Amino acid sequence: MVTAYIQILIYGLINGALYGLVGLGLALVFGVMSYLNVAHGALIMIASYACFWLFHLLKVDPFLSSLLIVPCFFLLGVIIYKILFDSLKRFPEGQKTKNSLLISFGLLLILSNLVTILWTADERAVTPHYAGFVIQFFGLRIPYIGIGAVLFAVVVSILLDLFLSKTYFGKGIRAASQDHEAAAMMGINVGTTYLISFGIGVALAGIPGIIVSLSSFNPSLSFELTNKALVVIILAGVGSVYGVLLGGFALGLAEAIGVLFIGATYREVIGLVLFVLFLLLRPQGLMGKRS
Amino acid sequence: MKARRDIKTILILVISIVFVGLIPLFIKGEYVLNMLFLLCLYTILSHSWNIMGGYCGQINLGQAAFFGIGALTTRYIWVAGYPFPVALIAGSFSSLILACLIGIPTLRLRAHYFAIGTLGVAMIALITIQNALPGVDFLPASLMSDYNPTIRFYTALIVAALTIFAVYCINNSRLGLAMKCIRDDEEAASATGINVVRYKIITLMLSTFFAGLAGGLFAYYYVSYYYYVPFELMWSFDPVLIVFIGGAGTVVGPLIGALCYVILKEIFAISMGQVNVLIFGVVFILIVLFLPKGLIGIKKR
Repeated sequence: MVTAYIQILIYGLINGALYGLVGLGLALVFGVMSYLNVAHGALIMIASYACFWLFHLLKVDPFLSSLLIVPCFFLLGVIIYKILFDSLKRFPEGQKTKNSLLISFGLLLILSNLVTILWTADERAVTPHYAGFVIQFFGLRIPYIGIGAVLFAVVVSILLDLFLSKTYFGKGIRAASQDHEAAAMMGINVGTTYLISFGIGVALAGIPGIIVSLSSFNPSLSFELTNKALVVIILAGVGSVYGVLLGGFALGLAEAIGVLFIGATYREVIGLVLFVLFLLLRPQGLMGKRS
Repeated sequence: MKARRDIKTILILVISIVFVGLIPLFIKGEYVLNMLFLLCLYTILSHSWNIMGGYCGQINLGQAAFFGIGALTTRYIWVAGYPFPVALIAGSFSSLILACLIGIPTLRLRAHYFAIGTLGVAMIALITIQNALPGVDFLPASLMSDYNPTIRFYTALIVAALTIFAVYCINNSRLGLAMKCIRDDEEAASATGINVVRYKIITLMLSTFFAGLAGGLFAYYYVSYYYYVPFELMWSFDPVLIVFIGGAGTVVGPLIGALCYVILKEIFAISMGQVNVLIFGVVFILIVLFLPKGLIGIKKR
């Protein structure tokens, strides 16, 4: 019995790693330039399709395909930013968030419908030969793919944190997110910084896309993923990379515990209820300080 | 000058309502009636969103929850044997009550948190209904016997006319002025003595009341549907698109938006499935970027 409970918690942690990755890109973009990019879920879903076609047509291993997908998504992000979001940066902060919300909402509708039209609403999955492999461990079963997801989440978080705190460019991004006018006066090109940050934000959508593609997915997933990303950034706040990762794990565990006590049908509701409660009672997030 | 413009607006509104009302007399057929009903339904729903989003500037993505609860309650009370007008009013009050329970706490949130908070509420409602009421809602035989789409269409038309009239009154009232003030600058509005929270609550209650009416009409017109259908997220998203494309914060704009939406949906639903949403998405982005006043703003340029 206890093993079954622990088993559910392990699956919760694996889901949590995915949620953390899903939230990371949205949190970066929202934290740096106050753009609320609700199309993030759709971008993740497109990465899943990219991974799917790479696997089916060219037999590329899904984890290896990240080497191709992530740079392509960076370029995609730069293009999207140039076309849609560049003109918003002159607005004051509240207006910026609202307009970016509206535009990315349109983008979400376009992308999810485009995918449905191009590739139908069928359920798909990438099935590499190790898809069903598990590690047996005191009666617990840990799937290979789950281990991959957790590793991916941790490695990506560490790399992103190192980039933001150690490199000159990362410091520029953090400076622009704290006060873009002061940053501009200190000689940081805020326009380029925004462009690159948005590119990285979209590139970060590529990685959860790969993990999503390993279980079954369909075009309607884009709404669900956006919703998870929003829950994660509300739970965690947008202050730190590890905070977002922890927020993801917290959501995954909360869902798992909810499944234990309430049942699997209400799994989605648990996250959402948490989300609304946090919005009302602790809008600065788990880790944030009250401003 | 302003009075003349007002008379012109009223004339346009009255003529278009009468025109829509006359169409079924000349063109018979359930197909036309169905489209006209959808036009009324989308007009009411998008005006309900317009009150909150267009006039007051609060992006509410939870309209589906209010629409759905209106449909659910109206249907329940109507089927229980009460006359339909009673059921319709009860349905809209039920969404008003829901607004008080969950809307007012969320109004404390800052603008974008309000948008994603209400989206969360709509998703909770959808998933809960999907799990709690998985079946199909049929009209009982006693009510089926006197089913007449023409009467149902005219009921919807009357409600739509009343809604447009109400929005017109709001537009020209102190309340409307306060709402526009809050939209343009919340802090300045509060500094000039407008009780921002109170007006936001009034606005939300008005908005959800009309959303509940639209839901009730949905339950009145359609014979059978899955319980979750009126809770689907498209009832949250469609009004946003319609209002922004027509012109947010205007009386005539959402009518234009609803007309475009229904026609486009009809054209593309037959040939290409979901392309209408795709086109609407593209038009929506272009309008947010280049025409913040919507299609109605073209004329004023």
